[in-house]
Amino acid sequence: MKVLYGLAGLLGFGVLLELAPRLGLVSRDYAPPTSDILTTLAEQFGRGDFWVAVLDTLRTWLLGLVIAIALGVAIGVIIGSVPLLRAATASTIEFLRPIPSVALIPLVVVLQGPTVEATLILVVYAAFWQVLIQVLAGVADIDPVAADTARSFHLGRWDRIRFLVWPTALPYAVTGVRLAATVALILTITGELVMGSPGLGEEIANARSSGAVPEMYALIVVTGLFGVGANVLTRAAERRVLAWHPSVRLEVRVPA
Amino acid sequence: MLRRSRGHLAALLLATSLLVTACGSDKQGATSTPGQPDKVTVGVIPILDVAPIYLGLERNFFKDHNIDLTLKQAEGGAAIVPAVVSGEYQFGFSNSVSLLLAQSQTLPIKAVANGVNSTGEDGKDFAGLFVRPDSPIKTPKDLEGRKVAANTLQNIVDTSVRASVREDGGDPAKVEFTALPFPDQLPALQNGQVDAIFVVEPFQQAATAAGMRKIASSYVDVAPDLCVALYFTSEELLGQNPDLVKRFTDAMKESLKYANDNPGEAREIIGTYTKIAPEVIAKVTLPKWPPDINRDSIEKLADLAKDDKLLTNPVDVSKLLP
Repeated sequence: MKVLYGLAGLLGFGVLLELAPRLGLVSRDYAPPTSDILTTLAEQFGRGDFWVAVLDTLRTWLLGLVIAIALGVAIGVIIGSVPLLRAATASTIEFLRPIPSVALIPLVVVLQGPTVEATLILVVYAAFWQVLIQVLAGVADIDPVAADTARSFHLGRWDRIRFLVWPTALPYAVTGVRLAATVALILTITGELVMGSPGLGEEIANARSSGAVPEMYALIVVTGLFGVGANVLTRAAERRVLAWHPSVRLEVRVPA
Repeated sequence: MLRRSRGHLAALLLATSLLVTACGSDKQGATSTPGQPDKVTVGVIPILDVAPIYLGLERNFFKDHNIDLTLKQAEGGAAIVPAVVSGEYQFGFSNSVSLLLAQSQTLPIKAVANGVNSTGEDGKDFAGLFVRPDSPIKTPKDLEGRKVAANTLQNIVDTSVRASVREDGGDPAKVEFTALPFPDQLPALQNGQVDAIFVVEPFQQAATAAGMRKIASSYVDVAPDLCVALYFTSEELLGQNPDLVKRFTDAMKESLKYANDNPGEAREIIGTYTKIAPEVIAKVTLPKWPPDINRDSIEKLADLAKDDKLLTNPVDVSKLLP
């Protein structure tokens, strides 16, 4: 039922965008009706260069995300587990984290040129903080009683991480990954769009500089679908990974 | 402890960037293995102007000169000059005024081949200065005190528009320029945000189709057969591998001549690297692609840029051109 409502909402939005240019509310040259966009989108599916761009974007996005998650989890657990480290890095993290990744574009262009690597740096930089902050919060959330218990059982460093830190931090980390997936997608497209590294963003820029307006919107729709896909997949992964967690476990949920 | 931990994070970040750098392409194209063609990457912009190099690639003109050519599209071209200087690309495509400016800032670059020229025909060029159909602006002189859109400031566009104003007896210093990408210019003109726009193809077609009035072909006003853009390399590569540069120049000359002689094929290839609709490509006015650089027109541009106080340092045109 929920899915049906969602689809109805989407359909209504599509109809609105179809009517606005047809009724002359917006210029048809710059905001083509939904039907034009969808026809152009269907044409794209038959083109080789479209699929190459899709794969380029997917690769940059996933690679950047994996690097960011690996770094974020590893560094988060290390920093979070050592109070001194945490105190020493807090201000640095708070300084570096809010720097918008796009502000680094001039720097990475000089370092890397408009390449995939340049976009990857942006993606990793932006997505890394999402994971790190969540993992840090997760590690800080360890139940003191559980921590004391672990200590009285003389758990080693590795066992502490495995049986105490990890289960506590995991729900946070998963949230971090979900946020990072979206942020990584945004930065992937931004890097391609602004710097011209290969992928859907570059295709959008190319369509724009070619005056091919419906194609530009069609490609934007594709990036939107990417975002939806990312959310659906990370939600599904969340349910699997956290099947044991009270927030996901059905039997402890208060009946709605 | 405090010091060490910060160093730790910084080191990790640095390591990541180094790792990513290491994966980067081989810097400096002097990677010539004996018996193997030289791998060359050229930074271009996805516009009509670079049709010859795409044609040259397709027709193996570069392969014939033992060059394994890769074309990389960069949006707007601002990234191309740094990428060539750093060696990420071996050659690049940029407009003549930007190159003159770069040269006056003593960036180590050198033009190696012609890029693209105006048709030289007033009213029938691949770019034009447009106003609204009901605009009181009749000739370029009327632009005094008006707002004109240019794709980026301080490049060939504003220099050329000022040349039109000057030629018409107006004061170019009184024209106000505002930076606006080509695709956004026609809507801005229609909305009244600007009083005039200077657009190249395919947006010239769009402006004409929307009923806008052309008041000048500014490239033509600068010089006959104005050299609008050039292919260039870094002085480093030129010093290291002059033979490669010469072969690139030769292949480029062949490509330019071929494109100039076969406009039909040029139109066809434009459809492969841009997304311009086929019916628009059939109508656009193609630029000219003479194989040799029109030195006089570059001298003229340098003079104009000096008059407009764009160039503050003296520029030596002969140092930029081969």
